[in-house]
Amino acid sequence: MLTTATAETVLELARRGGADFAELYVERWRRRNLRTIDGDVEEAVSAIERGAGLRLFFGTDVVYAYTNDLSDAALGELVSTLVRLRGERSGEAPSGTPGKAGSVDERGSGGLDLRRQSAAGLHAPATTFDEQPKAWRLERLRELDAGARIDQAVKQVEGRLIEWEQDVLVVNSEGAWVEDRRVRTRCIAAVIARDGDETQTAIVGPGLSVGLELFEHHPPASIGATAAQRALTNLRARPAPAGTMPVVIGNGFGGVIFHEALGHLVETTMVARRASVLTDKLGETIASPAVTYVDDGTTPHGWGSSEFDDEGMPTERTVLIESGVLRSYLVDRWGSLKTGYRRTGSGRRENYTYAPTSRMRNTFIVNGDVEEPSSLFEGIEHGLYAKAMGGGQVKPGSGEYNFAVTEGYLIRNGELAEPVRGALLVGKGPDTISKVDAVARDRSNEPGMCGSMSGDVPVEVGQPHLRVTEIVVGGEA
Amino acid sequence: MTFEGAKDYLLRRARERGVDAEVLGTNERQLMLAVDQDHVDEISHAQRGGVGVRVLSAGRVGYASSEELDETSLEWVLDEAIENANLQGASGAELPAGSALGRHDLIGEGLSASVESKAEAVVSLARGLRADPRVDALFAARYSESESEVVLGSTRGVDGGYRNGHALLMASPVMKQGESVKQGWDFDISKEFHSLDPTRTTQSILERVGRHLGATPLSTGRYRAVLEPEVTASLMALLLVSLSGKTVAEGKSRLAERLGERVASELLTLVDDPTLERGLASRPFDAEGTPSQRTPLIERGVLRSFLHNSDTARRTGQANTGHAARSYSSTLGVSSTNLLIEPGAGVSMDAGVIVTDLSGVHAGANPISGDVSVQGLGLLVEGGETRPVDNFAVSFNLFRLLEMIEAVGDDLTWRPAGSAIAGAVSLQVADLSFAGA
Repeated sequence: MLTTATAETVLELARRGGADFAELYVERWRRRNLRTIDGDVEEAVSAIERGAGLRLFFGTDVVYAYTNDLSDAALGELVSTLVRLRGERSGEAPSGTPGKAGSVDERGSGGLDLRRQSAAGLHAPATTFDEQPKAWRLERLRELDAGARIDQAVKQVEGRLIEWEQDVLVVNSEGAWVEDRRVRTRCIAAVIARDGDETQTAIVGPGLSVGLELFEHHPPASIGATAAQRALTNLRARPAPAGTMPVVIGNGFGGVIFHEALGHLVETTMVARRASVLTDKLGETIASPAVTYVDDGTTPHGWGSSEFDDEGMPTERTVLIESGVLRSYLVDRWGSLKTGYRRTGSGRRENYTYAPTSRMRNTFIVNGDVEEPSSLFEGIEHGLYAKAMGGGQVKPGSGEYNFAVTEGYLIRNGELAEPVRGALLVGKGPDTISKVDAVARDRSNEPGMCGSMSGDVPVEVGQPHLRVTEIVVGGEA
Repeated sequence: MTFEGAKDYLLRRARERGVDAEVLGTNERQLMLAVDQDHVDEISHAQRGGVGVRVLSAGRVGYASSEELDETSLEWVLDEAIENANLQGASGAELPAGSALGRHDLIGEGLSASVESKAEAVVSLARGLRADPRVDALFAARYSESESEVVLGSTRGVDGGYRNGHALLMASPVMKQGESVKQGWDFDISKEFHSLDPTRTTQSILERVGRHLGATPLSTGRYRAVLEPEVTASLMALLLVSLSGKTVAEGKSRLAERLGERVASELLTLVDDPTLERGLASRPFDAEGTPSQRTPLIERGVLRSFLHNSDTARRTGQANTGHAARSYSSTLGVSSTNLLIEPGAGVSMDAGVIVTDLSGVHAGANPISGDVSVQGLGLLVEGGETRPVDNFAVSFNLFRLLEMIEAVGDDLTWRPAGSAIAGAVSLQVADLSFAGA
């Protein structure tokens, strides 16, 4: 995507301008988006995106610029604007000893002996981007539609197929030259069910770092059927009770609560600014001993997986909480500079228009020792089973959250009882994670898009079924 | 390849493949400088552009776009657009015929100045604000500029291009006096960097925010009210939803069946004018190459037109007003340009509430029904005196309010209105419901 000479020139200009560190990120995307409503095509668009982002560090101050004109002249102008403005900032000419490509300067850095690394294809698709005609894709969405028509009450079925192919190059003044390819495919069913005045919507959307073989793992008809089933369950559900009670949270997307109310609190974006309640808590017990919480960028074909992060560092499996004890934060380059913590390959961004920040990848609670998920209901006289979770809100600093339960059931005298709707789980992430007293062994992960300072990035959330001794449930009844 | 080159290449290849195509290329450059204390500490320098193709094949529409302008990418884009079109049901859509529209420069040397002088402007704004002892914190002091180039061509004869841009200076201070804390913002926008004046912007921000210090709760009740241009602009953004041909074509506009009828006070005339001299949103033609024209929407209270592109015009059987909007990566839509209320004789009120700010118009208003209930800030006029009031919500229906206008201000001011820009004036209404203490 870029010649070595161009990259070297840009990085050298940046170092001459006084930057302590310079990084050039170049990417090219091909995207397709196909959306049907009741089997008819509503939207079919395709796009190529390509551009470069330049990030310069002056100490821990960061400046960022981007362009999709990759000519030497345009990239040169980008560097000179950043460097000149940086000079304006201190009211004097840029200081520092200029680095020179190909040789190490007095500060021991700046020598560009580029070390090439590229993806080994750990998450490579079986069916590549250019296989299968569009009509084949439309057939799959029509299967999804047919699969959802399980009841008269199903009124509208929307199907979406999202396909991405992203090539990434990261070059930096420490000599890294890293190439990665990420291919992701996701299929989403949104079903509206109506019975009289009552309307319920349900969304199911599996996605993986794979090609069109996604449909072998998740047959389209079953994606539609699962969404329809959930909408119908809610249609016959009665309003949820309110109060403080034990809650069993379902596996898979149930993990969204801890993603939002715990995961974001360990990103150095928050921790380095001391804006998180978990700042300076390494080595301390912050969760129940039943909880081990992991962020794994290496999960084969995971929706949030990649071989390298967007700062060119290999991804890794980072244990965040081990048996209740905080072991690591999620650390990007800036976060590492500010806090001194080891980088964890967590620098991510939506695309070249964003500078990277510390982000989650595939984050989940690992399996516990409870054999049968249903045994988690034992001993609960009156509680809630939150089988599927929807969206929610979180206050970033404190982890205070409220999340909607999209499929919920009452637990009565140790047994699963009737469905309820409209339940809202209200609490504080660090408090809730301390009250997890039993964890099953049926962990699964589900995909989502996580929005933050560096844009929307694909992530998985996950957990096994687990029991929280008490959560405030907001309900209507 | 250049944008012109990419456009010509795609049109030639589309002709060879026997499909109608329209190619839109846009290239945007942005510069943003933010100041916290007394130096620029956040810089964003950005350039982004690409070409988008809209293909029409037997009444079916397909889109694809690229930010990479080599032949391989452009061939892929055309293949994809044609394949995307062939998936659709036939809609009867056609590509509008057009003509040579020329090349236009609407900004000239307006943004030509060194980055150092732009940085100096925003530093001087930040310093000016901090010099006022009431300023407790500065959330943002920013200079930003944007410059864009558009090229458009189609196999049906459209061929044109233009260049436009603007510069903006803005800040949002937190001001404090005793126990009273208020945050607000204001800005100055121009097509000429050199006509921005940090001193004037500083004064207007301090005045706008400072006048709310010491506010006391407003008592619940019905009051005569003057809505300042800032507030009028957010109502114009709301009204725009019902005036969009897209909303009409989808059967969702409450005004759909009322063309030729009185929908507002006789004092109200609302027009969209893309031909306005030096207008921030002026342009010679729209995203389909339809030449720009001044479009009266509401004339002395009577609904005259909606905003249409060729597609919404065809679907509603109305005239295309040349309000097509599209970026290279998006599909065809409708947007306003310089949307403005014609200034009136002025407002004057002996007693009532001047509403200066509304917050949460996005969440607290239903653009389809026109029901609005939002938090506000204002000034109470009582016995010849004016004092700040806060902690109130104001509730009304937009369509009812338009009928109740009893005076129109002469204070035309350009304000942001959602994603659009509105030439707004003060509006006076006899009776508005306020929920306060």
